[in-house]
Amino acid sequence: MYDNRASESAVTADDIKIEAKGVNVHYGTTHAIKDVDVSILDKTVTAFIGPSGCGKSTFLRCINRMNDTIDVARVTGDIRIDGEDINDARVDPVQLRAKVGMVFQKPNPFPKSIYDNVAYGPKIHGLAKNKGDLDDIVERALRRGAIWDEVKDRLHAPGTGLSGGQQQRLCIARAVATEPEVLLMDEPCSALDPIATGQVEELIDELRRDYSVVIVTHSMQQAARVSQKTAFFHLGNLIEYGDTDEIFTNPKDPKTESYITGRIG
Amino acid sequence: MNNTHISSAFDRDLEALQALLMKMGGLAEEAILDAAKSLEGRDEDLAQKVREGDKAIDALEDQINEEAAKLVALRAPIASDMRLVLSVIKISANLERIGDYAKNMAKRTVVLNQLPTQDGAPQSIRRMAREVQHMLHDVLDAYIQRDPAAALEVRDRDADVDQMYNALFREFLTFMMEDPRNITACMHLHFIAKNIERMGDHVTSIADQIYYTVTGQTPDDARRKGDITSVSPLDV
Repeated sequence: MYDNRASESAVTADDIKIEAKGVNVHYGTTHAIKDVDVSILDKTVTAFIGPSGCGKSTFLRCINRMNDTIDVARVTGDIRIDGEDINDARVDPVQLRAKVGMVFQKPNPFPKSIYDNVAYGPKIHGLAKNKGDLDDIVERALRRGAIWDEVKDRLHAPGTGLSGGQQQRLCIARAVATEPEVLLMDEPCSALDPIATGQVEELIDELRRDYSVVIVTHSMQQAARVSQKTAFFHLGNLIEYGDTDEIFTNPKDPKTESYITGRIG
Repeated sequence: MNNTHISSAFDRDLEALQALLMKMGGLAEEAILDAAKSLEGRDEDLAQKVREGDKAIDALEDQINEEAAKLVALRAPIASDMRLVLSVIKISANLERIGDYAKNMAKRTVVLNQLPTQDGAPQSIRRMAREVQHMLHDVLDAYIQRDPAAALEVRDRDADVDQMYNALFREFLTFMMEDPRNITACMHLHFIAKNIERMGDHVTSIADQIYYTVTGQTPDDARRKGDITSVSPLDV
């Protein structure tokens, strides 16, 4: 009754989707992530911010076990998605990555048609029973990626022929085609112009309805615009984690304040 | 926390904005003192100077708003920087109102000069004005020092100003009941006293802004309220 929220930006869900406890990552002798505990909510956009080399991307990559592919990387600690330990020996990383989609800094469509880019994941995961089914999945994913109207007449043109912003939205469509539950984004807009950035940000806000979205960004303003929760990393430590509006108006830790206000910390 | 930005131009912009605010504060202090002095000394020239001087205060407010808008657009301040810009905008509005009240005092002084003197009242008013000017001076000091405790201390002193206003209010009522020919002068004097009392309220609002700028919180404990005339019956 006394709900005076000025906008819908406040977190509406408080179900924990991803729970990390005592996570440490070593690259050879480098201690890249130091004892990080964090609970990431479902149906929420969480932004990871921090200076270069602070470990935010490394931590993001722990969530879908991308660090497995790096020989010198050693990950310890506990990461659970919906209570399930993702580092358990019985978990198939390929299945995990279907559940936890990822979008990278530079748009990286496969050198195939727009249609095949999106259809690839559902095909190898056996999500479509027949051609009509697959068509539906592709259309739904492209609509979710907010790019359907722009490409529906040229689904068989190469994905690499699209503009940068379109390619990135295609990659997002590709990531959501396998019906993931978590979407990880590593600086998804840093190669895009402001208009394409705006479109991707709008898309991220829509994706929040169905997914838990985690975004790494160097743009403080982008973190402020798209996220409801913000985590600030510094030298491998998680310094502060809280509501985005709180972090950007009155951060608790002086290190956070120094970083976000552009002072030398 | 390190206090300088990586971008030194950002620091210079913030400094410039605060320098304008302090200049405005200085002019407002002067206007309060001069307005009270012109009333006590029946000094029409000084009253005229106060009325003219208000234009400079208004112009500074415009300039501050313009600079603050530019700073928001170009530098996108956040956290403590954003609180600072917000507080500068609000404090400049408080100072502008204080300037208006001083100007209004000066206007009434010109009218009062044509009426017989009211013994004692202009002196009491000047004491009250001096107290408010001290409060304004101290609150601006607290701003420069980023001292929320000092700001709250000034805020508490507003109760004394309210007390002085209550005493004057009763005094004027007595004068008017004694002799209806006093009504015109007493009404003007009462508005002048009320103006000063309102200035005190603006000073407390500035104190609140300082507290918010430094701590990010609004002072939550209710301020001591001293002005009881609005809830008291008329008999004295």
